[in-house]
Amino acid sequence: MKWSKAGAFTLALPWLITFAVFWLFPIVYSFVIGFTDQQLLAKDYDWIGLDNYRALFTDPAFISSLESTFVFVFGTIPVTTIIALGMALLINRQFRLRGLFRAGYFLPSITSIIVIALIFTNLYQRGGYIAYLASLVGLDVPEHGFLLSSDTSLYSIMAMDVWMAVGYYMLIFLAGLKSIPDELYEVAELSGAGKIRQFFSITLPLLRPVALFIIVINSIKSFQVFAEIFVMTKGKFETSTMVYFIYETGLTTKFEFGYASAAAYVLFIIIAVFAAIQFTLFRKRQAVW
Amino acid sequence: MVIRFLRASARYLALSLILLVMVFPLVWMMRVSLLQSGASIALSDIFNHQFTFDNYLDLFRTTSIGIALFNSALVGLVVTLGNIFFCFMVAYTLARYEYIVNKLLFVIVIAILMIPAHIVIIPMYLLMVKTGLYDGFGALILPWLVNPIGIFLVKQYIETIPPSMEEAARIDGAGEMRIIFRIIMPLCKPALAVLAIQVFFTNWNSFLFPFILTQSEQIRTLPVALAVYQGHQAVDWQHLMAGSTIAVIPVLVIFIIMQRQIVSGITSGGIKQ
Repeated sequence: MKWSKAGAFTLALPWLITFAVFWLFPIVYSFVIGFTDQQLLAKDYDWIGLDNYRALFTDPAFISSLESTFVFVFGTIPVTTIIALGMALLINRQFRLRGLFRAGYFLPSITSIIVIALIFTNLYQRGGYIAYLASLVGLDVPEHGFLLSSDTSLYSIMAMDVWMAVGYYMLIFLAGLKSIPDELYEVAELSGAGKIRQFFSITLPLLRPVALFIIVINSIKSFQVFAEIFVMTKGKFETSTMVYFIYETGLTTKFEFGYASAAAYVLFIIIAVFAAIQFTLFRKRQAVW
Repeated sequence: MVIRFLRASARYLALSLILLVMVFPLVWMMRVSLLQSGASIALSDIFNHQFTFDNYLDLFRTTSIGIALFNSALVGLVVTLGNIFFCFMVAYTLARYEYIVNKLLFVIVIAILMIPAHIVIIPMYLLMVKTGLYDGFGALILPWLVNPIGIFLVKQYIETIPPSMEEAARIDGAGEMRIIFRIIMPLCKPALAVLAIQVFFTNWNSFLFPFILTQSEQIRTLPVALAVYQGHQAVDWQHLMAGSTIAVIPVLVIFIIMQRQIVSGITSGGIKQ
C-alpha cells in the first residue's frame, strides 16, 4: 500500500494549508505584534516588549471592558445552565405536541444574533413591550429605555442572551437525560427514593459531564460577546466587552494593531485558564462520587 | 385521575408560557414588518392595523438588501459545499490511517477547538488587507472552508463504517479515489447532512468576521447589511424588521424541513465530548 501514506496526506492537504495560512499564522502573528506599537498610520513600528500589557492594566477603558465581560460571563452561565436544565426536565417525557414545544424553544438559537439584537433593541426601548410589561409589574423603566442607562444596559443584554441560548443547551441536556438508564430509576423507586431524592442522587451526578460540556462551551462563547454589544449600545453605558474593546482600539479611528493584539492575548489567556479550571474542578468532583 | 389531569394541565401551562416567551419576539418582528411605515407599533394598538408588504418592496427597491441576500446565499453555499468535501477528506484520513502525521493532525484539531476565533480579528484583518483579499469574497469564504468540529463529527461517523467495505471494493479492483468518493462518501450522508446544516446556519448568521473583513455594499452579507442599515438610518422599525424577517425566513424553512437532523446533530455533538 504505497498509495495510502502519500494519499492520506494529500487528502488532508487542503485543510493543512487553509489552517496554516488563515489560523495558525494569524495566531502567531498576533502574539508577535502584541509586543510592538504597530499602528495603521505609522510606517515604522518598534519593539516595545511588555509595554502594551502594562498599559492595558492601567487603561480604564480596558479594565471596564474586563469587568463587563466578567459580569456577563458569571451572570449568564449559571442562569442559562439552570433554566436549560429545568426546561429539559419539563420536556423529557412523551406527551402530545412535544416536538412543537422543543422546536419553539430552539428557534431563538438558530436566529441571527443581529436580528435578535435588533428585535430586543425595539422591545427594550421606552414603549417597547418589555418596558411596557415591566411597568405593569411596577418595575422602574429608565427614562430612555433599558439600553440607554448604565444601571440596566448590560443586564438587559445578558437577559437577552440567556433567552437566546437556553433552547440550544436544553437540547444537549435532553440528550444527556436520554443516556441515563431507566433501570437506575426503577431501582431507586423500589428502594423508596422519592422524586427529589432521585433527581439529586441519580440525575444530577450523571448529568455532570454534559453540564461540564455546556459550561465550557458557553463560557468560551460568552467571553467573546460582541455582535449584540455592537448593535444595541455601541459599547456605551458600561457594556463594552473585551472583544468590543479589541475591535474599537484595533479597527476604528486609531487602528492600534499592537495594543489590540495584546488585549486579544489577555482574553485568550483568561479563556484558557478558565477552561482549565473548569476541567480540573469537574474531574475532581467526579472522582469523589 | 384528577391529580394526574391537574398535573398534566400544569405541565402544559408551564410549557406554553415558556413557548410564548421564546416565540413572541419573533412573532413581534414579523408583525412590525407588516405594519405601514410610520404606524404605531405599540402593544396597545395590536388589533388596529392593516397589514402590508410595502416595507419588503421598499427594501428591495431602495436599499442593497437584494445584493446582501444574494451574497449571503452564495457565501453560505460555497462554504457549505467546501466543508462537505474538505472535512470529509481530512476525516477519512484521520479515521483510516494510523500515521504520525495523523496523530499530529488530531492534536491540532483538538487544539484549535479550544482557541477562540474572535481573538484573531486583528491579524486576520491585516492578513486580508496585505493579501488583497480584504473586501472580497475570498475573505468571506477561504478561512471557513474547513472546520475542526466538522472534521470531528465526520471522523466519528466514518469509524462506524466497517473497513471491510473498502477491502471488498479493493478486491473488486476499484481505485482508492473511487473507493473514498464513490463508496464511503455516500455512506456518510447522514453525518454530512448534519455538518452541512450546521455550517450553513453558522455562516448565514455570522457577523463579526464578515463585518470587519468587508467594506463595500457589493460584498456585504445580510447580517452586516442589517447592522449597518440600523446604524445609518434614523430608526425605522418597520423596514428594519422587514429586513430581519428576510434574514430569518430561509433559516426557518430549512429548520422546519430538517428538524430531525438538526436536533440529532446537536445532541450527538454534545454527548461525544
